[in-house]
Amino acid sequence: MIDLSVDLGKFKIANPVMTASGTFGYGFEYKDYYDLKELGAVVVKGIATKPSHGNPTPRVAEVSSGMLNAIGLQGPGVDKFLNGAEYMPFLRTSAATVVVNIWGKSIEEYCDVAARLDAESEGIAALEINISCPNIKEGGVAFGTDLKLAHKVVSEIRKVTSLPLITKLSPNVTCIADFARAVVDAGSDMVSLINTLTGMAINVETRRPYIANMTGGLSGPAIKPVAVRMVYEVAQAVDVPIIGMGGIMTGDDAVEFLLAGASAIAVGTAIFVDPYAPIKVIKGIEDYLKRQGCKSVKEIVGAMVK
Amino acid sequence: MKIGEIVSNRILQDDYYEIKFYVPEICKKTQPGQFVHVKITNLQDRILRRPFSISNVSEDGLLTVIYKVVGQGTEALSKLPAGTVCDLMGSLGTPYSMPKADEFPIIVAGGYGSAATYLIAKNSQAKGILLLGARSKTDLILTDKFAEAGFDVRTSTNDGSQGHKGFVTELIAKALEENKGKKIRFYACGPTPMLLALAKILQELGYDDGELSLDHLMCCGVGACFACVVKVKADNEDGWRYARTCKEGPVFKAIDVYTGEQ
Repeated sequence: MIDLSVDLGKFKIANPVMTASGTFGYGFEYKDYYDLKELGAVVVKGIATKPSHGNPTPRVAEVSSGMLNAIGLQGPGVDKFLNGAEYMPFLRTSAATVVVNIWGKSIEEYCDVAARLDAESEGIAALEINISCPNIKEGGVAFGTDLKLAHKVVSEIRKVTSLPLITKLSPNVTCIADFARAVVDAGSDMVSLINTLTGMAINVETRRPYIANMTGGLSGPAIKPVAVRMVYEVAQAVDVPIIGMGGIMTGDDAVEFLLAGASAIAVGTAIFVDPYAPIKVIKGIEDYLKRQGCKSVKEIVGAMVK
Repeated sequence: MKIGEIVSNRILQDDYYEIKFYVPEICKKTQPGQFVHVKITNLQDRILRRPFSISNVSEDGLLTVIYKVVGQGTEALSKLPAGTVCDLMGSLGTPYSMPKADEFPIIVAGGYGSAATYLIAKNSQAKGILLLGARSKTDLILTDKFAEAGFDVRTSTNDGSQGHKGFVTELIAKALEENKGKKIRFYACGPTPMLLALAKILQELGYDDGELSLDHLMCCGVGACFACVVKVKADNEDGWRYARTCKEGPVFKAIDVYTGEQ
């Protein structure tokens, strides 16, 4: 029997596979495909203090081995998230391990949503602070690409909640390890990376950008080598658990992140290709461990041979 | 036959293809207006699925899609031979509600919007009119199938090569005039500008329960990614909200369609 469980310090998960925020809705959308308890954790789409329209359309464009998106964090707002049947009440009944991704346009907004979730935290395992969305005009990546702001927003959120904090880092920086150190110093219990890489695609016939926001976040297999490298760099810089993501399609893709130093991983864009991708990745990791004669997934975390 | 196997994939007319998949489970579930989300196997570095309206289903498990080659995805699909096994998700999306026995259905379709509405005509006890508009007569598809299903088929083309010269919405007034006193129920599918124009007309005339199939570039197909949104009326300060066409749609009530700037 192979032990797939992962200890993330503040909480434990049954296996190392999560869903990447924004790619799995609020879990509800996939309830008919499998039992959400089968996943290590469900990370929901970003929640803010107020409902948000998101960006104009078109919001996505397909590119080589990946996609650009600029959804712009459309969402119900924290009140509806906590009370609407298809959001947190559903997730509580599903018994899934739930991580709530949060965002704001200001430090006050980040703290407000964190405090609201803290006050009704039944069924919430952790908060993931999104300081890395490249697609909104205010907030988001503005906090994730400035070391002082990144430290400030995390330390202020730390003051208003005792829930475990995961900070999701942006790859759109020169040295991601510096940001990992800053947010851990500010009280983040772990880090997740990478969010999408800012990109652009232009229709040469119309000469217009494919997405209305002009730029969008690149995800999918195209970004995996960048993500693996960044996870490796961050693993050298901080001692907290790392949740690695970026283009994971298969179990072997996930294993690369674990070998680079991630304790857990998230599947994102692959879910759009195949809703069962996270389940297949769990199986793929188990197959790898069997093949390699490992008894526990913990044996391969950071086990890359130089 | 294997699940997902292509049984036939042939030119229907001009640029339009008809493909049939063996997917008995999906066929059993399919309601008019729903779609399948297809992973096109020979697309190399393109990984996302493509959504296609379901045109027809048969009792022996064959699902028909009618498509036009418009880009890389449909180009690749057109080259897949019978026997290829494909991965289909479905049936997905909010369907049309069927006309009641005492209703008189008027289907307004633009281009291959006739494919997405054919199952209404086929399954409905109540028979009515199909108003089908297209660029040219070579773009008018499935007219014979609608006629077989007992529908009165009237066409319009932009170039006047068949039927009324002009827009399909210009055929509505006469159809209404001829069927005064009947309980008319509208159904529609076509290009977005046509549907928005139609929604405006239906709202003005009070046909609030008309049903229109709207769509937008789709990604996940199940409501998770929020890529495929369109504006629908909402009780907020803007008067609209973005609704997911894959989940809350593609079929929306005429009264709910936001006819301001999309």
